[in-house]
Amino acid sequence: MLADWWNYEFLRYTLFSGLLIGLICPILGTFLIVRRLSMMADGLSHVTLSGVAAGMLLGKKFALFAAINPLFFGMVFSVIGSLFIERLRKVYKAYQDLAIPVILSAGLGLFTVLVSVADGFNTDLYSYLFGKIVTVTIEDLLALVGVAAAVLLTVALIYKELFAVSFDEEFARVSGVARKRINLWFMVLVALTIAASMRIVGVLLISALITLPVAASLQIAGSFRQAIWYSIIFAEISVLSGLYIAYMMDWASGGTIVLAAVLILMIVLLGKRVRNLMR
Amino acid sequence: MSQEQGTPVVNLTSVGFRYDDGKTVLEDIGLSLYKGDFLGIVGPNGSGKSTLMKVVLGLLTPTTGTVELFGTPLSKFRDWTKVGYVAQQVAHGAGGFPATVREVVASGLVGRVGLFRRLKAEHYAKVEQVIERVGLKVKSDERINKLSGGQLQRVFIARALVADPELLILDEPTVGVDQESIEQFYGLLRSLKEESGMTMMIISHDIGVMSEWVTKVACLNRRIHFHGTAHEFEHNQEDIFKSMYGEGFKLLAHHHQ
Repeated sequence: MLADWWNYEFLRYTLFSGLLIGLICPILGTFLIVRRLSMMADGLSHVTLSGVAAGMLLGKKFALFAAINPLFFGMVFSVIGSLFIERLRKVYKAYQDLAIPVILSAGLGLFTVLVSVADGFNTDLYSYLFGKIVTVTIEDLLALVGVAAAVLLTVALIYKELFAVSFDEEFARVSGVARKRINLWFMVLVALTIAASMRIVGVLLISALITLPVAASLQIAGSFRQAIWYSIIFAEISVLSGLYIAYMMDWASGGTIVLAAVLILMIVLLGKRVRNLMR
Repeated sequence: MSQEQGTPVVNLTSVGFRYDDGKTVLEDIGLSLYKGDFLGIVGPNGSGKSTLMKVVLGLLTPTTGTVELFGTPLSKFRDWTKVGYVAQQVAHGAGGFPATVREVVASGLVGRVGLFRRLKAEHYAKVEQVIERVGLKVKSDERINKLSGGQLQRVFIARALVADPELLILDEPTVGVDQESIEQFYGLLRSLKEESGMTMMIISHDIGVMSEWVTKVACLNRRIHFHGTAHEFEHNQEDIFKSMYGEGFKLLAHHHQ
């Protein structure tokens, strides 16, 4: 059964996509969580969903758009959504987390309206919601490779700025860090990551992969760098075991990956508890 | 020891600040700090202390008047590596952040090293040196949530010092820090000042402790009610507080000693 992963092209695409997602989601997630923006991914994923629906609707109504991957519309919507969140965060300085439910509701509202306008889709919308192994195309994979390269390059180049802004925004500002531009770029990266990952994990579960591995790693990490590394390890284990089990059992890949991440979190919490009791 | 000549490090001329809702917090503030000064700004809660600090740091733009740092108007000032900043500790909420002492202190170099550049061996050496200077060498690999309030405060001092600032600005640095650590903390500031001739500006509501350590005092309650040496302040406290709060005010800040 393992050999299938090499023999079938679509499974290879899925595997590579999964590994890339397991790399970039927890990296972004670590920065999001320490900034108390863990719900951000949830908000943006719903906006992405409305973008995908818009893309599918256009493809259904106009032949011209049928050739364009709906994922592209998802990315555009997601980036617009992220810019909007940054604006809302400034408007409601004292209630910064308010931006997330606003954007989440807007995304979901738009999505349901678009679905009703389209009178349902024959394409499997289900796979966008919950992830499906067989749906990954070479286009999806290439989009993900591009996004992953952008994320890794960003973290390599401005790690210290990202750390400074996440740890203490005011201090970073006084140090002359281009805080606004960094925040904006970071949100754009989160938006692109969500859009690019939705084929595997599904849009409704993507925020789980951004937050759960980090939740586990924060329990045991001795430093910020370690927090990032552990979260990547946990995410990759979740992705690999989730994909394999999902394929074997014919389950939704997104749900299986997320359940694996939940299981890891529980093991880490339990392990920590046991260790504390032993002392 | 401060010579009141040359360009002031900090210079405020008739600075006023009004919030959008029309509430005036600062009025006609004139203040000059020269190299080597250690200025303590005291005032009750809501007297505009923190606002004044934010104005000096360029976090807020004054409604009237001008602010100059090292002789440059704030709007044109770019040399922020010359300025170190230690915020009020409660404002950080940094307790649960998964970073080590070393990581936090190193983040103080972010402005000095510059965008797209990595920290080099010399930077890390400087980080180690500053951590040792504030007496946290054994803690450098600890996560900051394992530190006491006083230790955490020293981490933030180290973060401000690591970029070798010429001006150090501290906002209520001793809130939530125990009495013994406060003494240690001021002792550290004093020796830093003696070693490097650094200019310092500190905000505190704890007049009693602070006035023992600073060289100059400014009393703020929307306006500056007194601006002079610590010595003059000690001898005129009654009058100063009468002017600040009106007659009938009882000085409550003497619990120390």
